[in-house]
Amino acid sequence: MFLLQWITLNYSEILLSWLDMKSFLSTLIGPVKMDCENMPFFFFFPFCRGFVYDSRNNLQMRGLVILLVSKAAGPSTAELSFQHNMVSGIYSSQRSLAEITELIHTAFLVHRGIVNIGELKSCDGPLKDMQFGNKMAVLSGDFLLANACTSLAQLQNTKVVELISSAIGDLVQGIYYENSKSSEENCLTDDISISRWKEQVFLSHSALLAKSCQAAMELAKHSAEIQDVAFQYGKHMSMSHKLHSDLQPFVKESSSDTMAFSLNSAPAVLHQEFLGREAWIKQIREAQGKGNTMDYKKLREAIKAGKGVTSAIDLCRCHGNRALAALERFPPSEARAALANIVCAVTRFS
Amino acid sequence: SKTVSDEKYQDPFQLGRKDLKNLYEDIKKELLVSTAELKEMCDYYFDGKGKAFRPMIVVLMARACNIHHNNSREVQASQRSVAIIAEMIHTASLVHDDVIDDANSRRGKMTVNQIWGERKAVLAGDFILSAASVALARIGNTTIISVLTQVIEDLVCGEFLQLGSKENENERFAHYLEKTFKKTASLIANSCKAVSILGCPDPKVHEIAYQYGKNLIDDVLDFTSCADHLGKPTAADLKLGLATGPVLFACRQFPEMNAMIMRRFSKPGDVERARKYVLQSDGVQQTTYLAQRYCHEATREISKLRPSPEREALIQLTEMVLVRDK
Repeated sequence: MFLLQWITLNYSEILLSWLDMKSFLSTLIGPVKMDCENMPFFFFFPFCRGFVYDSRNNLQMRGLVILLVSKAAGPSTAELSFQHNMVSGIYSSQRSLAEITELIHTAFLVHRGIVNIGELKSCDGPLKDMQFGNKMAVLSGDFLLANACTSLAQLQNTKVVELISSAIGDLVQGIYYENSKSSEENCLTDDISISRWKEQVFLSHSALLAKSCQAAMELAKHSAEIQDVAFQYGKHMSMSHKLHSDLQPFVKESSSDTMAFSLNSAPAVLHQEFLGREAWIKQIREAQGKGNTMDYKKLREAIKAGKGVTSAIDLCRCHGNRALAALERFPPSEARAALANIVCAVTRFS
Repeated sequence: SKTVSDEKYQDPFQLGRKDLKNLYEDIKKELLVSTAELKEMCDYYFDGKGKAFRPMIVVLMARACNIHHNNSREVQASQRSVAIIAEMIHTASLVHDDVIDDANSRRGKMTVNQIWGERKAVLAGDFILSAASVALARIGNTTIISVLTQVIEDLVCGEFLQLGSKENENERFAHYLEKTFKKTASLIANSCKAVSILGCPDPKVHEIAYQYGKNLIDDVLDFTSCADHLGKPTAADLKLGLATGPVLFACRQFPEMNAMIMRRFSKPGDVERARKYVLQSDGVQQTTYLAQRYCHEATREISKLRPSPEREALIQLTEMVLVRDK
């Protein structure tokens, strides 16, 4: 994953001047073969420092995925007299859309950082600093969103504006769910089923990418069928990614045993579903020491002993397979192979 | 100066009443949220208690342009949507402004951030904006999308401009006017432009509509003007460190105010001193004069349209703005 990490770190350069992927990679590491069978990315695992993500959120390569999907879909059969600006198999409008998606994602990273003034304690530092921080966070996030809106308008496509705007609405609702329960002290864990969990995670982690991929297809005037392919890929790949991320505390050998994990992560939610709410709450109480400290080691063991982890892995692979199935409907290409490799990366547990 | 017209003219708010009936209900319909609490937050300011000043202007402008073009007094559905979208964009920015200013009351009730906290308030503002964008896209006109998206950009730029300040006195006023335009006039100007585009193909009419909106100074120059209030820069604005029209004018006569402006009235006693200086200066008169000039400009522009009750109402509105009590 070294390559992907490098790409992520130099993201803006890449977006602005997208080169042919093969030549780009070969300047880095020598000739590269990229077909599905060889899965050459995994050759670089020893050099891997892990995906570059922020704490609990997505791939910081949303834009990259959109570019790859754009390339993988190829030129559309419809006549595009206005779209003569195609570089390396990607239209300039699609490139712009990739940037827009990153702008939106970043805007919400910033808006997520806002604090509730009323909940601050003296140990949090001077109130004035927090208020100023909030002010900057709101404004910066708004600035990024405004830029995204302006760029969207410039695409001159009302369907795309509608799609991406609705994705913003989805993202807001998803983040809202994330926030809602965390402040309640008595309820450390939601009483939700896995299907509800999937709905919420779709909003907070998948909707933006799925709809952006679809929008990229719309920009190239691809058929509804192709648009659906892109949507399904974006949706299922990001679901897999979230599940993969949630599973890390349970599958990584090197992770510290006492490391905290979210009680609303997939393995925990599935564990609760199998065990029943009462038994789960009981396990939580047993793991709670004095002064509300949580014995995460104990809780982790409890979850691992149940069916939560294995079914989360199954679910992850299931979404991965659906993403791969969607890809089958694109013609074979290096870009498609790269997209498949991403799925392999997020469904791999060892 | 002109006074508010008597019964000879129709109340402008009556003219647009039919079109604006159910305005707030329709806005709420655009806010499709599954969580009850988030829905409550988003609906909070669309309680129908406001005067709907902006939507009124938009609807009247739509009619005036339609009449000018082909004598049609009907407001098109897309034009009505513009009124709705403008109001939503405006409200979304208010919700964020309240977080930025740490305000605890607005329109006589508690702010969203006061009740639900800053984190959720910001999300609610974001949601309203996204819903406005969806509605905008559904009109299906890329020009209209560009025009109204400009508002979103201007609102944010206006906020940033407000953060900065200029040392040079001459720059300061220009800076102030630019900020003011972006924060308040841009919305009305571009909404008017949008409905004119939908109603009439003549670019001259679009420009008239835009110029009208641009010059319709609202509380922009800190005009709380009811006779009793004359001369009092709003204490709230000063406390926020905002130098308003009267203050900037007064500063020319009392250079001591420069230092206060630069430190944004943060020292104890600054606000009181500023008020005294303003009262002693001709700050208010200057601002009034400036506001009148803007309003006359607005009237001049709108008078270029074919006569209609709506056109008269829009002229009347410029006068009302001058004497409007916040």
